[in-house]
Amino acid sequence: MKMLSFIAAAALAAAGSAFAQGGPNDAQIAHIVVTANQVDIDAGKLAESKSKNAEVKAFGKQMVTDHSGVNKQATALVKKLGVKPEDNPTSESLKKGGADNVKHLKTLKGAQFDKEYVDHEVAYHEQVLDAIDKVLIPNAKNAELKGLIEKVRPAFVAHLDHAKMLQSKLGK
Amino acid sequence: MDARDRVRRGIPLAVLALGVAAGAYAAPAKHTVTIEAVKYDPPTLTVKQGDSVTWINKDPYPHTVTAAGAFDSKDIGAEGKWTYVARKPGRYDYICTLHPNMKGTLVVEGRAAKAPAGR
Repeated sequence: MKMLSFIAAAALAAAGSAFAQGGPNDAQIAHIVVTANQVDIDAGKLAESKSKNAEVKAFGKQMVTDHSGVNKQATALVKKLGVKPEDNPTSESLKKGGADNVKHLKTLKGAQFDKEYVDHEVAYHEQVLDAIDKVLIPNAKNAELKGLIEKVRPAFVAHLDHAKMLQSKLGK
Repeated sequence: MDARDRVRRGIPLAVLALGVAAGAYAAPAKHTVTIEAVKYDPPTLTVKQGDSVTWINKDPYPHTVTAAGAFDSKDIGAEGKWTYVARKPGRYDYICTLHPNMKGTLVVEGRAAKAPAGR
């Protein structure tokens, strides 16, 4: 778990440095947004089907709903703007981190699964918020793209609070 | 003037009296609260008893309007709406149970005039 969080952190930290011209362009930002959401949808789906804990299941379900909603809106926006999301090192790392997390979680059961899923959700949302504030919002050029990220930011804060609350409950 | 005339003349007066009562008891107003960017806008809304309030969700995911023990919209989906008729005066602090960092307040003021019988 610690290793996976570290990988995810490294992936997002890389977002700041992986772009030679001082940061990702809008096409890359759009790709990062969609990938970051997809990663959490995949983990949420797993929690929804695998967890036996009602609160963890409900949290997983909400992650699927909320992040799918964001992606639907993001996809509609890039279509409207005529932007083609562009793959980039940050998206690649996010995708890999997400796949590794799901692979690892699949080997766990019961309370151990719940704990590691929720721990990862806390780390993931902290890192995504960090990337939103330091990389995505400062570099987004298009006002609507920037606006979309700003509008969904408070939902990520709510998710982080929720995950932390679950984390402290499960720790007892 | 006989008794029947008195009654006949009395009718328009009674109608007028009811009209005045209805005027004092203004028709319920309709209010709107927009939910966008994980916020209620306006965050605090003051209405009169009997008014209706509609929350419109402009976010791409569900929200709720929940005041414990008073009202609960349950999930309002993306682009969805929910209407509540404010029947009981009071101050109601509400949250979104899905995103509890969202906070709003509905203040319901009582009507000055007594509600007509049968209402």
